Amino acid sequence: MAKQTFTTGQVLTAAQMTSLQQTAMLGGDASVKVASYTLVAADAGTTVAMNSASTTTITVNTGLFAAGDTVFIQNRGAGVCTVTAGTATVASAGSLALPQNDAGILYFTSTSAATFYDFIQVGATSPLTTKGDLYGFSTSDQRIPIGANNTVLTADSTESLGLKWATASSGGMTLISETVASALSSLSFSSLGSHKQLILAYAGIRHSTTGSTFGIRLNNNSSANVYVTQQIGGSHTGSFSGNAQGDSQDSLLNGNQASWPFGENVTFSGVQTDCHGYIVIDNYASSTRTKTFTAVFGYYDNTAGAYKFKNFVGYFNSTTAITSLDIFRNSGSATFTNQGNTSIRLYGVS
Amino acid sequence: MKRIINCETGEVIDRPLNQAELAQQEIDKTNYEAAKAIADAEAEAKAEAKAAAQAKLAALGLTIDDLTALGL
Repeated sequence: MAKQTFTTGQVLTAAQMTSLQQTAMLGGDASVKVASYTLVAADAGTTVAMNSASTTTITVNTGLFAAGDTVFIQNRGAGVCTVTAGTATVASAGSLALPQNDAGILYFTSTSAATFYDFIQVGATSPLTTKGDLYGFSTSDQRIPIGANNTVLTADSTESLGLKWATASSGGMTLISETVASALSSLSFSSLGSHKQLILAYAGIRHSTTGSTFGIRLNNNSSANVYVTQQIGGSHTGSFSGNAQGDSQDSLLNGNQASWPFGENVTFSGVQTDCHGYIVIDNYASSTRTKTFTAVFGYYDNTAGAYKFKNFVGYFNSTTAITSLDIFRNSGSATFTNQGNTSIRLYGVS
Repeated sequence: MKRIINCETGEVIDRPLNQAELAQQEIDKTNYEAAKAIADAEAEAKAEAKAAAQAKLAALGLTIDDLTALGL
């Protein structure tokens, strides 16, 4: 029901009361427009519905409405309908543009000024459309589309939203894998990827019983003389060949020095007595050259009753790319287990 | 128990050693014992030679401290 001026003694019909009730509840009949429209005084208290596939406007002029009047404006059509200040002023905290199925209340604060309360405020609807999208902002809320795999979000003031997805800078160290050994007799890292170096770092390795030794193999290669090593600081002055002190015959660092990177008889219960150390393998993915390595490790040999610390350099005498690294039991029947708060970690360096 | 970690996929498999791995373990053990026997024999021979030399020194009325004093 349009705005009325009721008089004393006037009797309303049931239909008028129903219409009045609907209007009060923002319902009731709507005056449907199919083209741009300028509000008139009779629109006060009514619903004006735009239904057009094209862009349209609803213009608001001064001198037609009193303070407190309202007009409920709907847009049913596909074309955006914009509430437009004609000679009156129209304020809004949101947008005056109504997409299809949006609506709002135009409330007059005076005969020449109105406020439009848009039901869907800017920001109330998400601009995000795709998995991984981020909420961004320039002068309004905007979508930052998800970037390509393995790229990282980077601040860039030249970008319209101040952020971009970019390739991660190279040169870092990546944790390839970490595991906590529990009663293992063998541990194998496979599919090592393609980095410049591998670093195997470990601590807290303890054996279940004495009488066992554990070594490392590359590509599970057990060929004689494939691991050539020398203890740093040893007295040998020759090249890394022949029967140099510390040379290996069948496992990495397993030579005359009886050096076991994963320990021998490591059963004494003490943090400082567990096997710990690291090994660095360079250029491991090369298929054209041999690979050098450096190892440092220590443990307490509970059978010998002695601490053993070893520094080794050497090379893997094979041009085959290293695709697996195996920790294996060379003798005895023990298993090895990481003690609390320790692990075996494999890093790749790019 | 053997743990196999595929670093590309992150898949972790814990399983008993297979026949080939058990066979390799036996080979490793045999090689280790052979190498250890040689190393032990060498160490024993070295110790025996040292004891014999010390006995000869003693027969001459000399001690290791005497040799050290001579800078030997």
